[in-house]
Amino acid sequence: MNAMTVAGTGTFFDGITTARREVTIELGATVMLIRAPDGAILAEWPYGGIEARSAPEGLLRLAKTGSPSLARLEIRDPRLATAIDDLSIPIDRSGHAERRDRTKVIAWSVAATVSLILVAVIGVPEIATRLAPLIPYSVERKFGTAIDAQIRRSIDTRHAGAAFECGNNQGNKPGRAAFDKLMGQLEAAAALPLPLNPAVVHRDEANAFALPGGRVYVFEGLIDKAETPDELAGVLAHEIGHVAHRDGNRNVLEGAGLSFLFGMLLGDFVGGGAVIFAAKTILQTSYSRDVETAADGYGVTLMHKIGGDARALGTILTRIAGTTHPGPKLLLDHPDTPSRVAFINSLAGSAPTKPLLDKAEWAALKRICQTS
Amino acid sequence: MSMPDAAVPPPLPAVAPPAIPMVRFLGDDTVYWRLLIRGAVLLMFTLGIYRFWLATDIRRFLWSGTELGGDSFEYSGTARELLIGFLIALTIVIPLYSLFFFVALGGGPLGDTSGLLSFVLLTLLGHYAVYRARRYRLTRTIYRGVRFHQTGPAWRYAVCALFWFTLIVLSLGLAYPAAQSRLERFKMRHTFFGDLPGRFEGSASQLFLRGILLWVLLMVPLTVGLVASLGSIDWSELEKVADAGSEEFWTWLLGHGLAGAAAIGGVTILWTLLSIAVLFPIFQAMLWRWWASGLRFGDLAVTSRLRTGQVFGVYGRFLGYALLFTIAGTVVGIVGLLVVGFVVKGSDSLWSEIFATAAALGFYVAMMLGYSTIYQATVKLGLWRCIVETLDVSNPHVLERVSAAGEASSPVGEGLADALNVGGI
Repeated sequence: MNAMTVAGTGTFFDGITTARREVTIELGATVMLIRAPDGAILAEWPYGGIEARSAPEGLLRLAKTGSPSLARLEIRDPRLATAIDDLSIPIDRSGHAERRDRTKVIAWSVAATVSLILVAVIGVPEIATRLAPLIPYSVERKFGTAIDAQIRRSIDTRHAGAAFECGNNQGNKPGRAAFDKLMGQLEAAAALPLPLNPAVVHRDEANAFALPGGRVYVFEGLIDKAETPDELAGVLAHEIGHVAHRDGNRNVLEGAGLSFLFGMLLGDFVGGGAVIFAAKTILQTSYSRDVETAADGYGVTLMHKIGGDARALGTILTRIAGTTHPGPKLLLDHPDTPSRVAFINSLAGSAPTKPLLDKAEWAALKRICQTS
Repeated sequence: MSMPDAAVPPPLPAVAPPAIPMVRFLGDDTVYWRLLIRGAVLLMFTLGIYRFWLATDIRRFLWSGTELGGDSFEYSGTARELLIGFLIALTIVIPLYSLFFFVALGGGPLGDTSGLLSFVLLTLLGHYAVYRARRYRLTRTIYRGVRFHQTGPAWRYAVCALFWFTLIVLSLGLAYPAAQSRLERFKMRHTFFGDLPGRFEGSASQLFLRGILLWVLLMVPLTVGLVASLGSIDWSELEKVADAGSEEFWTWLLGHGLAGAAAIGGVTILWTLLSIAVLFPIFQAMLWRWWASGLRFGDLAVTSRLRTGQVFGVYGRFLGYALLFTIAGTVVGIVGLLVVGFVVKGSDSLWSEIFATAAALGFYVAMMLGYSTIYQATVKLGLWRCIVETLDVSNPHVLERVSAAGEASSPVGEGLADALNVGGI
């Protein structure tokens, strides 16, 4: 049986000056005595109150826990180090205690990551939905004007300015009047708290969209594709749904929330940028699918109110979808067209309808963008 | 004969002078590799939250491996301090970002200039954070039981740094030696080891003279290439086509319009990248030598014998490992592609898309973290080691008589630097 180590040598720094002192260390029953060469006791450290500090391999560097002083005791004698390790609970050179703490930290970090992801998937759209209606219309209009300027620049690629909009020439005036009559019926039935600002523009895509603040853009391509006034009205009703639901605001809030979560809190590591981008894109398009469904529902209700054919929206969507490829499902920001049409038809039922525009008005509207 | 004064303390025991180099690095490479690899894996699974623990581990390893005069340094910071510092910093940065956002929304003269204003403010805040982060790291560095500390108003440094960095940009880099010299002087004037004051004595003109050749070698071909490239574009034709509309513009662009300019531009960029690859290690070695040789603490002076070849060696090792890793990654990538293709196999559902996306993303992140780990383990550690081991310290006896001074500072600076994505380790 080995003799118990009761004493050894080490180096002591008192934390007041950088002077090095070679000391003898006596292992008492409850405390460790640190003696200078002349026998004076420099310090008494209780075994329960010492901790190991960061040090190179082969060196045990001890400090007194909770002391403001930076006094350090450095031990190179391996047997003395083992003896102190055995006597002191906080000192654990095998690293078990540290590994346990570290495992706890890792477990909590992974749990935090998972919960933050759940917040992103569920919490962000919830909060955005609740906050979006609280933004005052005056703020939304200001914001809408700023966005409108940017959007206008990006869709008016030839910088035509006023000529970009349809319905201003003498020959197009009846078409403009018909369009205004159609919009007027929809606006009156919708009874929105803010006025709409619609514009038909020279773009070939069959599309229309609404910005926060009431600006609505209708593309020439959509008017070309529409065969009846109800089809055009259906799309407009859907876009009015976005305005009524404050979807523009919600979009901004969701974007900000995701940017915060995935930009600031998480993702600060090499390659994290790609994860952030992917997460934001996928989540935003998934929020968007729900929003589109809600707008479809609003559109059906509005069409019923003005006495139009609610199924017409489904018809024109199918016609448009026939010419485009949907692309990856993950990135679809609308639900796929067959689902949408089924949803619209299930809500539309078969109510009596009346013509929204007469034949002459509709013919004029179809020519609203003719420049000759 | 005089009586010994009872108040005079007994002479300190003479320590045998160490028969080892003055400055050494003792850390074991394999320990560091293991630390970094584990850290990279955990970074991935915690989406970055683990970075505070990894940074603390890295600093503990580097500090405790560095030995001066037989005694090694100690890093006394903790990951919890870094985390708290980051959370505090968020309470500053989030309202600030929101303020910028709403000001930009508002429009008007303030809104239009808000982009520039916010850039300036954030740059100032970034320099402020870097200075305070340096203070945190210094006060958590302990040598022979005495800590370093740093005084000086961080805001003054931030303004100074902003001024000099603007000058560097405006002068295309020529102001860099003057800027470094002034800023290092500021920092070292406010740096203390216990009660021992620091100084910086590196000369701006010396750095300028040593570096001017490198600058010329880089800038002259770049400028010539840019001028030649822009000169070969027919600007009047470009204007005409731009007016005609986007369709014609793109056809002209992709046709012959920019072919000449693109070719010259391509060659210029390639040459510039090659020059940077060769000149950067030379520049780094020169900068480190100049900086280390300017450090003073009281009468203690530091000089550096860092050789440029050592720096090239470090980067060479990195490239070697990176190449091996790339080969391994390509093999894994191809195998993974086949596996994912087999599993997904024509199914068009949402879940198969999610699976494929997650697999691709995971592979990409693993590769990036791999490169970053290799870089940390070869370049960061390699440079640390060869810089430390080529340091010579004169008048080291000064270190025997230093008294403790200074308090530990708050980690807010570190947190701010992390939140604003400035600063290293």
